[in-house]
Amino acid sequence: MILNEKSVAEIKKKMVRYPRRKSAILPAITVAYRQVGHLNGELYREVSQIIEIPVIDIATAASFYTMFPKEPVGKYLIQVCHNISCALLGADSLIGYLEEKLGIKKGETTEDDMFTLISVECLGGCTAAPMMQINDEFYENLTREKVDKILEDLRNKA
Amino acid sequence: MSDDNNNINLTIDGQQVSVPRGTTVLEAARSIGIEIPTFCWHPKLKPAGACRICYVEIEKARTLMVSCATEVGPDMVVQTASEKVLQGRKAVLEFILMNHPLDCPTCDKGGECDLQNLTFKHGVDDSRFDFKKYRHIRDKNSTFDDLRIGPEIIRNQNRCILCYKCVRANKDIFGEQDLGAYQRGNITEINTPPGEQVDSLYSGNLVEICPVGALTNTDWRYKIRVWNTQTVDSVCSYCADGCNLTLWKNKQKVYRATSRRNDNIDEGWICDVGRYGYQVPMTEDRLTTPLIKKGDAQVPATWEEALGLISEKFKKIKDERGGVCIGGLISPNLDSLSLHTFSKFFRKILNSNNVDFRAGYKMLPEKSDDLYSKLTSLPFKIADIEKSDLIFVLDSDLTKEHPIVNLRVRKAITQKNASLFALNPIATQTGGLATDEMVYNIGALHALLNGLCVSLIDQNLTQYENASDLKNRLSPNTIEKASNISGIEVARINSLAKVIAEAKNISLIAGELLTSAINREELAGAIINLCLLAGIFDKGQVGVLSQAANSKGAEKLAVMPHLSERSILKLKQIWDNYPDNDGLALDQMIRSSIKEELDSMFIIGSNLMLEYPDGAVVKEGLEKLDFLVVADICETETTQLADVVLPLSTWVEYESSFVNLEGVEQKFNAAIKPIGFSLPAYQIINKISQGLKTPLFEMIDELIPEIKTLLQPDENQNSFETCAIEYIEEKQNPEFEIPLLVSNELHHFGYYTEKSNSLSSFCSEAFLEISPGLAEKLDVKEGSIVRVESEIGKINLPVKISEYIDNDVVRAYRNFSASPVNILQMRKRNVDRVKLTVVEGT
Amino acid sequence: MEKKILTKYIDDPNQVNIDTYLSHGGYKALEKALKEMKPPEVIEEVKKSGVRGRGGAGFPAGVKWGFIPKDNPKPRYLVCNGDESEPGTCKDRVLMESDPHGVVEGMAISSYAIGSHLAFIYIRGEFAYPARMMEKAVEEAYEKGYLGKNILGTGYDLDMIVHTGGGAYICGEESSQLNSIEGERGMSRMRPPFPAVAGLYACPTIVNNVETLAAVPFIINNGGDWYASMGTEKSNGTKLFSLSGHVKNPGNYELELGTPLSVLINDLGGGMLDGHKLKAIIPGGSSTPMLLPDQIDVKLDYESLAEAGSMLGSGAVIVIDERTCMIWVAERLIHFYRHESCGKCTPCRDGTGWLEQLISRIERGEGKPGDIEKIESLCGNIMGRTVCPLGDAAVMPIESSIKLFRDEWEYHIQNKKCMVKSEFAFK
Repeated sequence: MILNEKSVAEIKKKMVRYPRRKSAILPAITVAYRQVGHLNGELYREVSQIIEIPVIDIATAASFYTMFPKEPVGKYLIQVCHNISCALLGADSLIGYLEEKLGIKKGETTEDDMFTLISVECLGGCTAAPMMQINDEFYENLTREKVDKILEDLRNKA
Repeated sequence: MSDDNNNINLTIDGQQVSVPRGTTVLEAARSIGIEIPTFCWHPKLKPAGACRICYVEIEKARTLMVSCATEVGPDMVVQTASEKVLQGRKAVLEFILMNHPLDCPTCDKGGECDLQNLTFKHGVDDSRFDFKKYRHIRDKNSTFDDLRIGPEIIRNQNRCILCYKCVRANKDIFGEQDLGAYQRGNITEINTPPGEQVDSLYSGNLVEICPVGALTNTDWRYKIRVWNTQTVDSVCSYCADGCNLTLWKNKQKVYRATSRRNDNIDEGWICDVGRYGYQVPMTEDRLTTPLIKKGDAQVPATWEEALGLISEKFKKIKDERGGVCIGGLISPNLDSLSLHTFSKFFRKILNSNNVDFRAGYKMLPEKSDDLYSKLTSLPFKIADIEKSDLIFVLDSDLTKEHPIVNLRVRKAITQKNASLFALNPIATQTGGLATDEMVYNIGALHALLNGLCVSLIDQNLTQYENASDLKNRLSPNTIEKASNISGIEVARINSLAKVIAEAKNISLIAGELLTSAINREELAGAIINLCLLAGIFDKGQVGVLSQAANSKGAEKLAVMPHLSERSILKLKQIWDNYPDNDGLALDQMIRSSIKEELDSMFIIGSNLMLEYPDGAVVKEGLEKLDFLVVADICETETTQLADVVLPLSTWVEYESSFVNLEGVEQKFNAAIKPIGFSLPAYQIINKISQGLKTPLFEMIDELIPEIKTLLQPDENQNSFETCAIEYIEEKQNPEFEIPLLVSNELHHFGYYTEKSNSLSSFCSEAFLEISPGLAEKLDVKEGSIVRVESEIGKINLPVKISEYIDNDVVRAYRNFSASPVNILQMRKRNVDRVKLTVVEGT
Repeated sequence: MEKKILTKYIDDPNQVNIDTYLSHGGYKALEKALKEMKPPEVIEEVKKSGVRGRGGAGFPAGVKWGFIPKDNPKPRYLVCNGDESEPGTCKDRVLMESDPHGVVEGMAISSYAIGSHLAFIYIRGEFAYPARMMEKAVEEAYEKGYLGKNILGTGYDLDMIVHTGGGAYICGEESSQLNSIEGERGMSRMRPPFPAVAGLYACPTIVNNVETLAAVPFIINNGGDWYASMGTEKSNGTKLFSLSGHVKNPGNYELELGTPLSVLINDLGGGMLDGHKLKAIIPGGSSTPMLLPDQIDVKLDYESLAEAGSMLGSGAVIVIDERTCMIWVAERLIHFYRHESCGKCTPCRDGTGWLEQLISRIERGEGKPGDIEKIESLCGNIMGRTVCPLGDAAVMPIESSIKLFRDEWEYHIQNKKCMVKSEFAFK
């Protein structure tokens, strides 16, 4: 089992709320993603057993939702919004700055598996552009100074 | 225009049409011959409105509407070919084609591709798309588009137009979980779950409904172009469902079989056995000439020599010892003309009732089984299953025995809100849809049915007038006793009784385990009691489903020794005379041979050595015969013992009919000429009869009126009476304690199916299914070899661990020549029992 | 200026706690509805208020509720749509993370009105924090007896589930959202049947936007007439506007409907960033047609914006200044819609892909003569021809961009470069 007891308990707790068990697919894979950092076939099988839904329903649904990486990523997944509101306020240069700071290109992971940098569609932080999401947290109204500090804090935390 | 409640009047392309409320615009247009193109629409699937090719213009609507998903409305005015519609259609084709590889010259679908055809009809001849086409690439090292997603299915995602028909049918119609859509948007991909493959019994249908060349099957691809083939209407020769087929042939070769939609039976779906079963006649192992045994060898002979020898032998036996010293066995997979000719030859020419077709049955009765026959002759319609609010399945793994009846049951449950209850000795796939599938202790069905009857009476759920009388007669049986024996809790029996009593329309379906049970007469009696108490005869239908393509025909054509008075009367009417001797059932024939009372047997199309329980006894019986004639399509363990072997034609080589489990006679046509020097069975029989100076016919058509008479539905059958037969527990040898079930493997309905490469690609060897619990106890894993030993025989089989099996039962599969499970089965045992020893692989 | 009704307390960090919420008069409306009003009366009051769908479609909420068939014995469901994913829009997020009890209370009253005993709030997966706030609010409401069995002793039962998405814009479309809750891929459904007849689990279902439902407690407390007295004749009440792009003070502002756009951009937004000249405004989220600078005085209400050739949409106002290449903008947007197309119907699935390729090549300086006409033609083949509105959403900004800035598009093709190069540095 990849999923730990806490995740399994959380999935079961969420599952029983729904009139139909199949509704638990999205909550369950979200729990799996939060624990593991990405999704894969093995996790689909584990989730399938827990919520008693065929693995195909889980795998096909999971593949539809792009928020979940389907391959391992760094400890911190940096997702920079590149959509219009952020782009108007320098999202592209923010991505460039991060590439420079991390020494990787968009789509890559740092050698120490600490950071993965990707750009994503609108995250709903439009009025505080430019912004990015690292794992679950939003970081908004970004400036170079702020980015430096965020990365430093994360490195220190790790 | 006015509309009544049920009909809607509308105008399509200037023509007025009246259609039932709820009809779609597409169907309404088609009903008056106006063709609207479609890709994602399928008559048996819910509309998806995905492909958008079926646009029509509807007055007052702001936009083009998809006709497949738009219901007709009163006074609607529809244009199906206006300028706007044609423009919209063209635009959809342009979108679909932008990333389509246009590899028609190398695509197997060419010539029967909806996209190709519609592009010719509606498309433009040049494309405005000037980018590199998007390619789905399987992996970095491969430039091939083809990906095998099942034993028989190849997927080419680049050709896929994402109509989702395969995914929808697979899930909604077949209930399978092996194909789905992955990713989204324009990179959506049709695929299996990781590490799985599309290998259900219905997989070929997915290829058949693919509108383009995205799904093709190994069976057909790259063998021939569709325009070089001719089609022939045929009927499936395997199970008794009677699916209608189209055979595609060129010269002396059949290239594929597809469905030929018949809404009364198959609704356009066929199983893979039916689809790939045509490969059996095409096998290179066919017998092509007669063989005569000389010394230890069987040597090729002419028909003249073979027939001369048979006639001489049969005449001698008939003259010296009487026709009753010859026994006849014919396969129920043979056609009606052959079955009838066979019966007539024995009864009229040999003056003997020694005819049988029931090679797979145990312990055939030595008298007519009246209750069972009465029950099986009740009318039953596959399509009427949909009308039932309760489907009650007894002793049947429907998916394996009747794949298409299974689909109708699924449909009734998933689309018509019927509920399903099942009584089975092991859990079944169909049972997964049941409100309650009661898995009872094997052998306990009779007790359980008696308990159910008592429950109906005790709970005051019956209006049957003689209920109290029956209760008295059933008196040693109580619900508690039924519960103890069967292992099903009293509460579940009681609630089932309630459900049966309250249902408005019931389809009671009994399957193979019941039809082949030793105590089928007792079980039939118990079912009759149940039907009388719950009023099922008046509110629904009872189907004791016959097994093989023409088992029902064989029953109706009386190809068995002990007949009901009614059948005898019928035969007397058509033939004036009827042998006054008591015929031998197959079981008795074997024993008579061992006792040297039977001199000869004439077997057609039946591999007794592999099918009949108690292999050792059958071998002894056949070896003791003075003269054995076997006609078959290939060499078998049985032909090897014959004095004369005759080459038999298959159903694709002549014209005749099968009678399906509903009793419906369906004609099939010849696709090719007989292979080699083979002949249809009816001709072989007639030639032998000619040799005895008594031809049965000059032209086979002469027999058709007789067949028609015998196949007519029986009238006035509904005079049922209760009959209380007490349940008797079978004694068992404590050394062999694990009950053994024997059934058909999903892809092997008959021993011939081993000759089909496609079917063997799904499953090529026998195995023993055991429960996870037993596997743990024996310390074996998937693939470990165990010795399966009964009181009379033993074989080694690889293990397959199955969640369908409960701890105390194992299941083995017949029809594998390398592992004949019939050597384990005892003729007189209702429940076979075995012990298991691990040979290797713990 | 601002008319803070729904957003009155959003700057109070304690508003997320039920005690603070209660001290601000919270759950009074629920109590009033349950104890003093029958469900049809609640519906009537909401009808009277004229509050319209704030997610984008602008359909009157009370009328929508009335579509639930009275004789259908199946359970009914309320789904609160918090999938907020339309580029430029982040106003529901503010309500969910800063005043979650307001959303819970609105959902509870609405559930009562339509006879639902199970309500869902669908929050986009990336909104982990707002989802946590909503989860907490739901828990607190259960503890205090505003949710669960026999609410406030009235015999009314209601359960509430916070359901999070997984990164799919299409799940903001109501039929896709229902599929997503059911555990399916978030593909849009054919209509009819409409959700009010056969929605979640094929049962009657009402899907309303967060902001719409958050307005309901105020309507119940103060009356439909009070709500209708705000705004214009047909566009009643207040609306949240997410102001983003090239303005000094971006942010969420609650305005009475009918307030001029110039008030939002210049007075509240502080005017253009760094004194640059205004070039275009996307007034209602990225899918709405653009406006030109001379339309800055248009009133922000459903009718006026329609008259001006655009839509109120979700109320996301994106301000674009003179430094911006309009083809660059179009490329961002079409890339988004291509990425978010569910893949069900042909025109959207393949059309957005083709459009993206065409627009990208123009932006790269590789455009060919005739590309503009081709784009226009493809837009025509998508507009109104798809299962759900995503197809329309994808082509509307493109069509309007070409209409309003055709010279720039032609310049881009002829000169193989931008008229103005969009190079926005981040600070």
